[in-house]
Amino acid sequence: MKVELQINNTTNANGRFVGWSPSPCRIRITDPTGATTQTVVVQLSGVSTATGGAVVFRKTAAGANSTTLDLSLPINGASVPFFVVGRKASISNGDVSIQVRAKIANSPIVGTIRCMVRIRKNAESLTTAERDRFLAAFASLNTTGRFQDFRDMHTLLSQPQAHGAKGFLPWHRSYLLDLEREIQTIDPSVALPYWRFDQPGPKLFTLEFMGVAGPTGTVQWSATNPMQFWATESGLGVTRSPMVGWTPTTQPGPGVINEAATLALGSTYVAFRSPMELNPHGQAHTRWFGFIRAVPTAAKDPLFFLLHCNVDRIWAKWQRINGRFDPAVAASYDSAPANPGHNLPDTMWPWNGITNATDPTRPPTAPGGGMASSPCTTAPGTQPRVQQTLDYRGTISAASRLAFDYDDA
Amino acid sequence: MTTKKRASKKAAKAPRKMSALAALSVATNAKKTTAERVSALAQAPEAVMKSDDNLQKLCNVVKNTEEPVQVRLEAINALATAAFAVATFEPYRNDYIATLQEAAVDPNQEIRESALGLLASEKNKFAQKKLLDGLKNPAKALVPPEKALQLLSYDVHTEAYGVARDIVDNSPNELARQEALRVLAADPNSTKLFEKLLRDKDETREVRQVAASALNSLAPQKLQEHAREMLLDDSEYEDIQATSLSAVKQFGDDEEVAKDKALLKSVNRMSADAKSSKYKKSAKDFLAMVAEKEEK
Amino acid sequence: MEVITTAAGADSSGAKTAGAAPFLAAPVPASDEEFAELVDTLVADPNRHGQLTDLLRENHPWYNERGTATVAQMRGWVLLGFARTGVSDHALLFVLEELDTGIDPYLVATAACALRSYAKPNPALAPFVMRALTQNRYRDDPVSFLAYADYSLGPEATSPVRELLLTLAWLGPHARSVLPELEATVKSGGLSKKALVEAHRTLEAIRGSEEEPDCCKLPDGLISKFSWAAKARRSSESIASTVFEDQDGAGITFNEFFQGRPSIVVFFYTRCDNPLKCSLTVTKLARVQKLLESRNLAEQIQTAAITYDPAFDVAERIRRYGEKRSVRMDASHRMLRATNGIDSLRQHFKLGVNFVESLVNRHRLEVYVLDRNGRVAASFERLHWDEQEVVDRAVEVLAERKKPARITTPMMGTLASIAIAFFPKCPVCWAAYLSMLGVTGLIQVPYSPWLQPILAVLMIANITSVWLRGRATGRMIGPYLVTLGALVILASRFNSGSLKLAALGIVLTLTGSLLGVFTAQRSSAHLNY
Repeated sequence: MKVELQINNTTNANGRFVGWSPSPCRIRITDPTGATTQTVVVQLSGVSTATGGAVVFRKTAAGANSTTLDLSLPINGASVPFFVVGRKASISNGDVSIQVRAKIANSPIVGTIRCMVRIRKNAESLTTAERDRFLAAFASLNTTGRFQDFRDMHTLLSQPQAHGAKGFLPWHRSYLLDLEREIQTIDPSVALPYWRFDQPGPKLFTLEFMGVAGPTGTVQWSATNPMQFWATESGLGVTRSPMVGWTPTTQPGPGVINEAATLALGSTYVAFRSPMELNPHGQAHTRWFGFIRAVPTAAKDPLFFLLHCNVDRIWAKWQRINGRFDPAVAASYDSAPANPGHNLPDTMWPWNGITNATDPTRPPTAPGGGMASSPCTTAPGTQPRVQQTLDYRGTISAASRLAFDYDDA
Repeated sequence: MTTKKRASKKAAKAPRKMSALAALSVATNAKKTTAERVSALAQAPEAVMKSDDNLQKLCNVVKNTEEPVQVRLEAINALATAAFAVATFEPYRNDYIATLQEAAVDPNQEIRESALGLLASEKNKFAQKKLLDGLKNPAKALVPPEKALQLLSYDVHTEAYGVARDIVDNSPNELARQEALRVLAADPNSTKLFEKLLRDKDETREVRQVAASALNSLAPQKLQEHAREMLLDDSEYEDIQATSLSAVKQFGDDEEVAKDKALLKSVNRMSADAKSSKYKKSAKDFLAMVAEKEEK
Repeated sequence: MEVITTAAGADSSGAKTAGAAPFLAAPVPASDEEFAELVDTLVADPNRHGQLTDLLRENHPWYNERGTATVAQMRGWVLLGFARTGVSDHALLFVLEELDTGIDPYLVATAACALRSYAKPNPALAPFVMRALTQNRYRDDPVSFLAYADYSLGPEATSPVRELLLTLAWLGPHARSVLPELEATVKSGGLSKKALVEAHRTLEAIRGSEEEPDCCKLPDGLISKFSWAAKARRSSESIASTVFEDQDGAGITFNEFFQGRPSIVVFFYTRCDNPLKCSLTVTKLARVQKLLESRNLAEQIQTAAITYDPAFDVAERIRRYGEKRSVRMDASHRMLRATNGIDSLRQHFKLGVNFVESLVNRHRLEVYVLDRNGRVAASFERLHWDEQEVVDRAVEVLAERKKPARITTPMMGTLASIAIAFFPKCPVCWAAYLSMLGVTGLIQVPYSPWLQPILAVLMIANITSVWLRGRATGRMIGPYLVTLGALVILASRFNSGSLKLAALGIVLTLTGSLLGVFTAQRSSAHLNY
């Protein structure tokens, strides 16, 4: 007897990634040999390595978690749905598998599928292999030309779409998601790490990772680090050096308010977003000399994306603490009128392709096209709306799940 | 514990935050200690957004050469932080840029470098002119030549190529030469120069690495050819071989590499004989990657 | 904007105003001071204001090897010169160009200032000013007009937003069309305190006057679009063999791609940091392609985007650039770089571009429609171009008569050869011919020996034409036959009773001429995809 399992309801191997939110799956009998009844009960269980990820199961999206799950499968091959929930983050692709045993004599294994609990992690906690996979994939993206789109999206001409207004957090969440999905087309096991700017970065700011400032402030990397070939439209490398008196490997960013203080800014989005955009977000940017210090050049530095990943994580954590996933709840967002692109039902530039040819509030071009897709979920589609970024975990509506999660949010 | 109780528990642990206006007041108060003022400036950006007067107070701190340098530097940072909120900062940008332009010619070098760095990010023409003038005439230099070149490289459209070429041939110091090479990496006519530098064993590691990176941008196929030759060259330095291996691993043609017995043999030797364990590991990882791709 | 075309024969070389010659005689200024003095000299002399306009051509030699910042500084100073002299209709185009697509604070501010010295406010100018305000409001950097290369920040410092508001105030009621947009901008809270004061004055100036604005037409002298009738088009022979590489690395010559079908051509480069120029141009090219597809014309009208920066913009780069902007790329629609130099292209198209080393330091918007012979039939320069308008123009070119007319020249030459063969030697023969033709019954045509040399010239012209075509195509059978035919005809003149010889000569001439025409046509058809 054999069964077929689909993680995220896809046979695509690049869809075998789960997070903390329930991922819809299905199972069916493909070969009923040995079955003596019209239905066969099978038991699903997760098999983890010592350092790998772990999963649990649910019968329904809102059901209870269990380490095993019994399902009754018809021998006619009809699919039966279930859900997989990540319990512990993986460190490599396929380090957790789901095993299916038929509840018949000898309990044979009738199906196995490898998957990964893919989570955005603190850059300091990455294994060497995780770090290297991220760097290799990011360095590849840099040379494909697709990276230039992410640069073009973050230049001064486009900034009112993304900064200094309530859409700041949704826009950057979408921006990071788009970039991460592009990286995942190169290596699907990679999730964006984040830089805890309110903590020291002893591993992050080394030659092997995000580099170390040389005497002029030009970042140096080790000879084995693919980031040594980093280039953007104006030339080679990265300019980034810490402000005088700060050692990033042993000290948090000076004057950057810590996570606790940020989360305590207020329990409504209005109270939270505006101050946090300045500090810790803006403050983290300006702890450096170099590209990352100013809006027109910030996205030339790969650290920029790790910085914003942390900003997004803080928002995610704030959402969880305050229960702010539902766009219908006033405190989840800011309902004050704003330019298009910042209101809940609005699509966002550049993914909506709208330029000043039709809307004078938009930039002249919309680089990069629509939002990248993911085999793990259909959300948010090619033209994300602001409201879709709130329920990123699918808490309110399972269909809203954006298929990313943070290790501690 | 419910989420709300968790929230208030977190709030209790968080340090007490000064209001932005109070922070601005401390920051601009000459009677406070430098440390107090620097600390307050971290919370001042929000106050800038509230009124023109608040912005002017901060700008005045930047411009005042009597103020402690540390406070002035942090005031520039506070303005730069506020500038990130582009839409809200719009009314203040003019004064912000004007303040930076004034600071760019300040008596203090740290202040000048800080201001010029921000202006260079904006491709500010005043800053570019000052930096270029300083390179052409050292008496007018506001920052060291390596810094000037680095900031000019933010914009490929500057006139820095001629000066950069002169500095490559006749540099005041090694750092300036490296930065001059970075500037020239935007010039396709410099491809041959980078090829020569890459293969010159008398050059420093930093220069050869810049050359490798430049070739990857200007002529990636040439880098692959040179990288291969350097890997086959037993007399080549290990770190340059490691850079070469990175280039092949990252950007080489997988099929060609898998067929290249001589290359694989060299990398195999590197995995066993390299003095650095890091380079050994890199070579082993490379071979494993090739083997994995072959299996597929 | 109303379409303005010049009469046939006009040239798009830029500031070719009536009268003043380009100011090329003077050497390149050696210093900032010298440049400023030279400009001041031009400003002071009303007879040389045309040369001031000429200084705004991108390809003016004074901009050679200057960085973008220096070029901006120089151009801004020239624009300020116009603020003192008054902006002519011809110079107006450059001012509007800066407002339309400029993002340099100094240039936008000087353009706005210069516009106020135009003869008369005009409603058609308002959208340009408002567009500049929208595009530059987040880059309202301080600028100084006090002196050349001056960056002083005293009370006389100004800014692009301020200058634009002043210009809108100058337009007054002529800016009513942009009043809602200006009101929205003021309401958005983004203007500085100083700018707000100015903005309120501007709003009052626009609302306040009871004057009714004139109709919204730009002056007739404004030139941004050119059209040439077929006869007046510059031959593309000089760049026939320019070699390109396309986005896939395939090599193709100018003639191979551009001969046989009309084309729409844009210029760009991937390192352009003005999103209102190259990025938008290539994005619009994709829209042009969609328009062509919707009219089933995508195989009949080609498109090409050619880079100004061929050394850096290698195949992979231009392909990605086009892909990201949804440009269609196939045999009829290509992204190109010239592999044997941009110079010949610059000369042929008279491109509005200049360089510092290999880097572009400044360029204009330019879109060309080429006819099926690769000659420039129309150009759209400097200001934002409309995709539909460009497509319509290309369709007109497509509809132009194909060149069966090409056969008329050799046929006339052939008839001349026939006429010479049978030209009567004497008045009696003349009468005999006319009788034969039945003409004498109708008209008494006098013997006209003066016709002989004229016919001889026509015959020589025919022979020359066939030889030139033969050399171009490499097929020499036509020229040989025509030459032989001519010799036989001449021999028949000296050999009385040579009707057979004459007939043979005519047949050879006719055959050679027709072969010359048809092999040329077949040759170019063979090169088309």
